[in-house]
Amino acid sequence: MIIVYHLTVMRPILFLALLLPSLCLAAGTEFKLSIRNHQFEPAVLRVPAGMRIKLTVVNRDPTPEEFESYELHREKLIPGNTSGIVYIGPLEAGRYPFFGDFHPKTTTGVVIAE
Amino acid sequence: MKRSIVFTVGVAALTLSRLCAAGPADYVYTPTVEYGEREIDFKAGRANTHDADQSSAASLGFGYGARPHWFTEFYAKYESQGSGPTHFDAWEWENKFQLTDTGEYPIDAGFVVELERPQDHSEGYEVRFGPLFQTDFGKVQLNGNLLFERHYRAAAGGPMEFGYQWQAKYRWKEAFEFGLQGFGDVGPWDNWDPADEQSHRFGPAVFGKLPVGVHEAIRYNAALLHKASSGAPDNTFRMQVEYEF
Repeated sequence: MIIVYHLTVMRPILFLALLLPSLCLAAGTEFKLSIRNHQFEPAVLRVPAGMRIKLTVVNRDPTPEEFESYELHREKLIPGNTSGIVYIGPLEAGRYPFFGDFHPKTTTGVVIAE
Repeated sequence: MKRSIVFTVGVAALTLSRLCAAGPADYVYTPTVEYGEREIDFKAGRANTHDADQSSAASLGFGYGARPHWFTEFYAKYESQGSGPTHFDAWEWENKFQLTDTGEYPIDAGFVVELERPQDHSEGYEVRFGPLFQTDFGKVQLNGNLLFERHYRAAAGGPMEFGYQWQAKYRWKEAFEFGLQGFGDVGPWDNWDPADEQSHRFGPAVFGKLPVGVHEAIRYNAALLHKASSGAPDNTFRMQVEYEF
């Protein structure tokens, strides 16, 4: 009985331990996105489906902005006049809207995976 | 005389081990840090056991994403036993470190370190730490955390305890997500308690985020946990509400 309990608890631990080597398997295709006058440039970003994407977001405004997307499952604050990296994907083909959380009406865009 | 000392130490150690076990207001840590985000955080929980008093706990905290990979939060913690009054229990300082950028690798990793100073100074200081993991499979988010906990400078010292947390949630809609959560404590990390003394609990959980303004949101999660081992409470209700701004 004790062995069963130990195995029950150890299984997720072993699962995580076995997955740790996969931490070394980063790969990606790089894209760039700018924020200027509270607008994304480009507002439509076409990326390959099924790949991990490294997205560099350059905030050219003096005020902070937050890249946010529920569909992409990402939130990332980009202070004014700085840049930040957002990793997305691998994505299935489709549209993934994103927006700036500080200016949600004007700072909008969409990733199209194809 | 010697027997009474042994008895007293034994009772104190047993009490401490129960205090070490995950409380009803505990929540599942995630390895992500929201830089610049401030939050007011309320947590509460109640655990019921058929042959013992119910225990309740709550905490109110303020947290801040001080650095891109460091989130820090201070809590005031309260608890009550049975029909007794709710009383202040401890101060807690939680620090969470994001070790990998979200999505950079197949598994996101973080690390949490908590320092708790109980109101009852005979309990010394409680330190809790451990690695945090998260991964996504499409709309399903999985979390698994390993936690180690020990009291220092306590009247009745004890070994380092080992516990775990996990959750699986389906990200259906931002305002409403659902899944399962589980918590467990197995006793000393290198010499686990007998199975009937370990605490394993799991049950359904709901999650969500409700925008309430520009860069302001209410985030919530709650779970109803059922005992999966004889050392656990029969059922535990736990919830967390955060105001993020």
